[in-house]
Amino acid sequence: MEITAVTSGGTPPQDDAPLADPAEIRRAMEYYADRGWTDGLPVVPVTESYLAEFLALTRRDPDDVVMAMPHLNRRCTVRLAAINAALAGCRPEYFPVVLAAWESLVAEGYAPRAIWQSTTGTAPFLVVNGPVRERIGLNSQGNVFGSGFRANATIGRAIRLGAINAFGLRPHQLDQATQGTPAKYTACIAENEEQSPWPPLHAQFGLDPSDSAVTAMVIRSCLHIEARHTVVPEQLALDIAGTVSRTGALIHETISALVVLSPEHARLFARAGWGKPDLSQFIYEHAVRSRAELAAVGKDAIARQTRWRLPAGHPDSVPDQAQADGDPDTVRVLNSAGAVLVVVAGADNAGVSAVVETFGPRGGPPPVVRVADPAGPAGTRQERTARG
Amino acid sequence: MADGILLERAGVPAVSICTDSFLAPAQAMAEAYGFPGYEFVTMPHPLASLDDEQIQARVTDVLPGVLRILGLES
Repeated sequence: MEITAVTSGGTPPQDDAPLADPAEIRRAMEYYADRGWTDGLPVVPVTESYLAEFLALTRRDPDDVVMAMPHLNRRCTVRLAAINAALAGCRPEYFPVVLAAWESLVAEGYAPRAIWQSTTGTAPFLVVNGPVRERIGLNSQGNVFGSGFRANATIGRAIRLGAINAFGLRPHQLDQATQGTPAKYTACIAENEEQSPWPPLHAQFGLDPSDSAVTAMVIRSCLHIEARHTVVPEQLALDIAGTVSRTGALIHETISALVVLSPEHARLFARAGWGKPDLSQFIYEHAVRSRAELAAVGKDAIARQTRWRLPAGHPDSVPDQAQADGDPDTVRVLNSAGAVLVVVAGADNAGVSAVVETFGPRGGPPPVVRVADPAGPAGTRQERTARG
Repeated sequence: MADGILLERAGVPAVSICTDSFLAPAQAMAEAYGFPGYEFVTMPHPLASLDDEQIQARVTDVLPGVLRILGLES
């Protein structure tokens, strides 16, 4: 049976359309859905021969563990990571990027410690750098957070399906997210290195620009910043800092962020002589709330044990670090400039950027993991991880 | 839930308590620990916003269930 055309505006020629048995295709889709092996969208059926194409692109043993969750007594192996990448719709050549993403998530640390089960409702978020972006067609330009690019869509989804199938993190069961985030379907961007005035993320943290790398984070949300009104770097940076320091995000004593600048905004800073570290430092210094603002929302102190924010009148409250510093009425929401990472992504067509709210206080170098060359040596983790 | 199961397995009597919003995740966690029949106590959600008096009332409410699971006379 011939496949029906799906575009509007008449039926295009379909000389190369495959002949398929739609009933069998639907049966395969339902088979996976009935078993709860999906994220709600159809998946690509995986056979041993198709799986072998993925496993051929890594030197790692199929039984190697890519992530363990000891508290669940479950682990994701290279084989399971490959199955879920194939289910997600990855092409086999994406698999080294998927493996680097898992490795980065382990190094990042929150995912194996049960954050994906939390009511907070976080999602993995991946930034890809280096030549692999072009090789596999990762989008770093227009609609970078949106749909339309198979590599972005399916690499992010490979991690979600791994969470569901390898670890059993299904919503309403072990995934207790109150609301979650749309990023839980997929969240993978590439840095727009070609239109950035600055060194790419992986080079900033010690890898060679000719390396390919994945940097994984756990995120709570992506916030839109529309700033077409200014060419003054301090004004734009304050606009960003004001978004970073919103009180609704201030769950812990301090928080963290990934700033994703459009090329236009990045150049605005670069023209004034700012580098990525300068912007991070400025945001660190200006992402502040007054003591009175925090008191107004009941977040002017922290809990003794968890250091979550709560009202000063709460019986478990203790003063935050800002109380001990020189200016107790000005509360910094970040612990250091390192708690703000900066990358460049999106189209070079408008003053639109984003703040990605990353989970945890952070600071220190991010878990940049080199994408292994399937033809080269497997290497040790130290060789592949920038922070060693 | 995991802590309660691990304490029991270590020979320390323990009872897990959660709010009813977490009933399904709690059962899933018990299954993940190979203890699908694990008994625990639930109470109405929410908990975080209760004052001292309401917390005390919750303790009074759940105590019989805790003692029953522990195997004590109430």
